[in-house]
Amino acid sequence: MNLPNLRGRVVWVFDQDDFDIDLIIGVRNIKITDLDELAALAMADRAPGFAATVQRGDLLVGGRNFGYGHPHYPAMRAMRHLGIAGVVAESFSPGFFRGEISMGFPLVTCPGIVAAVERGDEIEVDWAGQYVHHPRSGQSLPLQPLAATERQTLEAGGLIPYLKARRASAREQLT
Amino acid sequence: MTEKILARASGRAFVRPGDEIEARPDFVISYDFPGYTDVFFREAREEFGVSRVSSPERFVLFIDHMVPAATPKEEELHRGTRAWGLAQGVPVHERKGIGHQVSAELGYATPGAFLVHFDGHVSQLGAFGVYAFGARKGVLEAFVSETLAMTVPPTVKIVITGALQPGVMARDVFHHLVRVMGPSSCAFKAVELAGPVIDAMSIEGRQTVCGQAMFLGANTMLIAPDELTLAWAAGRSKLDLAPVYPDPDAVYERVVTIDVSALQPIIVVPPSPANTRDLSEHLGIEVHSGYLGSCASGRLEDLRIAAEVLRGRQVKPGFQLHVVPTSQAIMVQAAREGLIECLAEAGAFISSPTCDYCYGRIATMADGQRAVSTGTLNTPGRMGSVDSEIYLCNAAVVAASAIEGRIADPRPYLTAAR
Repeated sequence: MNLPNLRGRVVWVFDQDDFDIDLIIGVRNIKITDLDELAALAMADRAPGFAATVQRGDLLVGGRNFGYGHPHYPAMRAMRHLGIAGVVAESFSPGFFRGEISMGFPLVTCPGIVAAVERGDEIEVDWAGQYVHHPRSGQSLPLQPLAATERQTLEAGGLIPYLKARRASAREQLT
Repeated sequence: MTEKILARASGRAFVRPGDEIEARPDFVISYDFPGYTDVFFREAREEFGVSRVSSPERFVLFIDHMVPAATPKEEELHRGTRAWGLAQGVPVHERKGIGHQVSAELGYATPGAFLVHFDGHVSQLGAFGVYAFGARKGVLEAFVSETLAMTVPPTVKIVITGALQPGVMARDVFHHLVRVMGPSSCAFKAVELAGPVIDAMSIEGRQTVCGQAMFLGANTMLIAPDELTLAWAAGRSKLDLAPVYPDPDAVYERVVTIDVSALQPIIVVPPSPANTRDLSEHLGIEVHSGYLGSCASGRLEDLRIAAEVLRGRQVKPGFQLHVVPTSQAIMVQAAREGLIECLAEAGAFISSPTCDYCYGRIATMADGQRAVSTGTLNTPGRMGSVDSEIYLCNAAVVAASAIEGRIADPRPYLTAAR
């Protein structure tokens, strides 16, 4: 199975390094688990009305060490519920990276992305070709390949289906 | 060290950085929090049909957030956790203190052990020569199978040389590492700490430093056991394990030597733990509250130095000083030493251990307010309004700032530093 390429509009650029994703929904809201409630809070402190601008398949772009801080899940759960299909960043903070790949959420490490794109641009992530294409400038930036287990987790759609598949294949080998 | 611990945990003779392994955690540690443990319990049962975790003696739960509960929903979560623990035969430790500290007190941090948690601050158990890994959602795997799939990280060795000046504490050392090396300098690596400053540092100080590993990007941080560690572990360790030491010819991805002889107290300015500055650059900023506690600080040496600063003095009227010992055991010892009395007489508001001050669930700040804090993070909104600010610093700085109502240098209040 191959990971489907991501093609979408950059709906927001978090251009500062070490961005703490708790700022997206506010630390006071991290105990909320209802998706509609979380989605309505997304970016409320930073860009009121953000939720209404998101189209299904949109992408976020981040700076270096995106997800620094405490990588609580509600921020990206909210973003996914709005239709965000993935994050392309200069680099990711390891805890955030590990956690979101487990959720089946594509994260793409692509040095140079912040300088290359503007909000509203289309970009395409080509996993097989290992680059991020930016049609407006014609540029293609190399992306950092995923480790085997990370790739398999994303292909499966997250940690739960991935673990289920692994357990099933382990059982087959026994019989 | 990392490779030896992970080799044993994965049943191999040796492992190398980059190897993808299946490692069996000696202990799986969690605290209950909505969206984490409640979800793990449900997913293990509903998605994987696991009604009983295998070898429940390897699991431990803490109730340290939302203590005491403030809403029926919070208490409901705790009730679910207690019930799950009871049904599974898994111990639930409640109101004993912050789990990362209580794990050490109860002997889960047996030198040489491999521990997992969903929360990365578990890295502080690395102070005991343990590989303690915050696997995030990945911990679910440990709930449904015996092992966890992981990649062996390369190790960066940080040698800390020199000697600390009076009034400079373990957390200043950590923040200095972030300043010198960068907030993502150790991304996806294990960090091994060594050198004379670490050798001379208390167990508590080592916990403080190791617990913040994530803010260097590191998977975890650990220190080879020494006499202090082994004395702590004796009579506490839950496992019969041989301590693990680095080989004299151990291979590191990088060895960094940092001299801290000239290090001054640090202040970490909002909005990020990456913004490390010298305290001297920010003296005099008006602050409205102070928090001395958390899994990073709030141990005896923090309470002792705060008491030394505040002895015979008063918190400035209107200033809110919250002192929260990290565990019940620490609180009891602080009481025996007269520290609680001294801090209360000075006007501190003293609470039983809880995580709740660290993330603004209580002692919540309003717009425009500012705190000095020994918590873990200074993200805007972490202690209340997004328009409030958090300055992270050591316990002595919190105490001195409480007296003056502005960010203050504690050294004039400390005998050794005068």
